[in-house]
Amino acid sequence: MIELKGVTRRFGDAVAVDNINLTIETGEVCVLVGSSGCGKSTTLRMINRLLPRTSGEILVDGEDINNADPEALRLNMGYAIQSTGLFPHWTVARNIGVVPDLLKWPARKRDERVSELLTLLGLDPATDAIKYPHQLSGGQAQRVGVARALAGDPNILLMDEPFGALDAITRENLQQEMLRIQRHLNKTTVFVTHDIDEALKLATRIAVMDQGRIIQHDTPEAILRRPASAFVENLIGKGDRGLKLLGLRTVGDVMARHLLPSQSEPLVEVLKETDSLRVALSIMVWQNSDELPVFSEAGEAVGKVTREQLLQGGA
Amino acid sequence: MPVSTKPPTRVLPALALAAFACVWLLDLGVVQPNRIVSGTGYGLYAATGWFGAVVVSFLLAVVIVLATRLTPKRFGALILLLTTALMAQPLLLEVFALRKLPEDSAYARIGIGAGFWCLAFFLALMLLETLGRYKASRRLQFSVVLLVVVSWWFCASREGLSSLSLIREYANRADQFSQALTTHLSLSLGAVAISAVLAFGLALAMVRRERLRRPLLGLVSFMQTIPSLALFGLLIAPLGALSAAYPFLQTLGIRGIGWAPAMLALIAYSLLPMVRNTYVALMEVPEPVVDAGRGMGMNERQIFFKVKLPLALPVIIEGVRITTIQAIGLTAVAALIGAGGFGTFIFQGLGQAAMDLVLLGALPTVFLALAADAILSALKFQRAPR
Ligand SMILES: Nc1ncnc2c1ncn2[C@@H]1O[C@H](COP(=O)(O)OP(=O)(O)OP(=O)(O)O)[C@@H](O)[C@H]1O
Ligand SMILES: [Mg+2]
Repeated sequence: MIELKGVTRRFGDAVAVDNINLTIETGEVCVLVGSSGCGKSTTLRMINRLLPRTSGEILVDGEDINNADPEALRLNMGYAIQSTGLFPHWTVARNIGVVPDLLKWPARKRDERVSELLTLLGLDPATDAIKYPHQLSGGQAQRVGVARALAGDPNILLMDEPFGALDAITRENLQQEMLRIQRHLNKTTVFVTHDIDEALKLATRIAVMDQGRIIQHDTPEAILRRPASAFVENLIGKGDRGLKLLGLRTVGDVMARHLLPSQSEPLVEVLKETDSLRVALSIMVWQNSDELPVFSEAGEAVGKVTREQLLQGGA
Repeated sequence: MPVSTKPPTRVLPALALAAFACVWLLDLGVVQPNRIVSGTGYGLYAATGWFGAVVVSFLLAVVIVLATRLTPKRFGALILLLTTALMAQPLLLEVFALRKLPEDSAYARIGIGAGFWCLAFFLALMLLETLGRYKASRRLQFSVVLLVVVSWWFCASREGLSSLSLIREYANRADQFSQALTTHLSLSLGAVAISAVLAFGLALAMVRRERLRRPLLGLVSFMQTIPSLALFGLLIAPLGALSAAYPFLQTLGIRGIGWAPAMLALIAYSLLPMVRNTYVALMEVPEPVVDAGRGMGMNERQIFFKVKLPLALPVIIEGVRITTIQAIGLTAVAALIGAGGFGTFIFQGLGQAAMDLVLLGALPTVFLALAADAILSALKFQRAPR
């Protein structure tokens, strides 16, 4: 659990973070979202003491972080940096292995971990591991940055716009991957982004920031349904917040399940139970149908969903 | 290696033409009746007869033709041709000695003319240009240089060139020569090593304490502005006084003249490039990278040794390179205060108006500087992140 109590950070006269209170439960993904310069990175960097705070308290598991040894604190907090900050004189493998090395893991365990992470993030352990950072594309570098943050198996993850430089498809894949990792590992995560869709997708709770203050801290659904101010309303976009709401829930939550899954003909455009209601609605509109069969990841027909169920689920 | 044809180079033909002009207009060699009297010069044709003249002219013509269209094959041919030409160049002098040296006079000797030096210079430039365009590997470049050096060494030790003035000067001073080599190397490299340690400490202090930056940089820059001769001279008085006051210093060889003041002055000169490069290198390590190191949980010591130092090393080595070349040159001047080294020959030669004795001091100095340059450049290149 991470608690920020009345935390303020000034740079000279300018206030970058203004008296914020924020509690992040263990295993939760808290997404800080807001426009550029609102103090997201500053908040993140105060949590691992890369920046000292001007006033207030930051507690991790009830202990003030200022009482801890800063290096030990950071070794237990994976940190993915906005500008990636890979070590230019080290190969990808050595970059990823830096925290295991600092933790003095045996070489074999470290190497296994490195290739596991490379695979997980869609990089090739054979060819990409021996590259130097300047030989990577921006997106690959960011993935290495994320892998490096995960490598030491930390309890806490601090991620500063880790998917910022990626194309939509890779970004989507990595977000899925991140959700999957999160379901397994349940790391306490603070994730910074300025993309509200990414925030809605990944967050257990979202903290909307503006000019160094937290405007609203709530679940994605509550943020969509009850935006606390015009600023938040603008951020989520008035026009399609209904659709965004549909995007929060999966088809599996609302469909009528068959008693027994059955093998069936693969259709052109299939709806999976992990797809969001938003995707289901889109397919329905496109195919002009009231009812759609739902398939599992394995390709079995597991249920069906009607337009009424969809709309009730979203409401 | 390049597969396609490169655009024709104008540099190679221009260099070849310049070499052609020099070798025909300037004297290839000189016959001197003894070591002091300036002798009579001979041009290429007069010195080596029509055979030498044709070979040299033909070679330069071939270079021009090959350079008009550079296919990979022609690159190979050019490198081979130029290397062989450079390796065989001393033979021109041998032919010259055979034809023109009067046999009856024991003091007569052969001097090297400007035409010979120009030819060697332009051949070397063409070879470097070709190797550069060919993107030759370090190993090939190194082998070529080694071949040429060994070949010149071999030619110099042959009977045919024993009448060469330079070699006679050497033969008269073979012991002094190796002594000079040892002194020269230990003075310059010793000064570089000591100032490297000092500079590292100073640069670290400047990185740690911003306040020290201006005074320290000011001090080392000031030392650089004192003329070298003056600095050597200025050290004589205090060191002389010191050793007079504490006689045990004299047993260590510390006196007003000799190696001690030379060493001090060399260190003083070496500090500026070393301190400046080390400081700049350490300061210019990108902030996000240092930040990443800290964010990953490195302590300050680990950040320094694992991140900052390796990233700064190429620029630090560059500082060592500049300093070493400078120190090798300055050590020659230090001979004036009795420090020894190759400068001794230079100043003796100047005093006796024996130009070949000057060369005997100057050539090895240049060679040492070039060798240091090559070795440290290779080291820097190897350390730079690929
Ligand atoms: N080292 C610093 N010195 C002075 N001001 C700073 C410093 N770091 C940040 N600031 C200021 O603090 C404010 C918040 O910066 P911060 O980096 O936290 O923004 P951010 O929300 O992460 O923005 P972005 O989305 O662009 O990364 C900005 O106005 C910035 O100019
Ligand atoms: Mg930021």
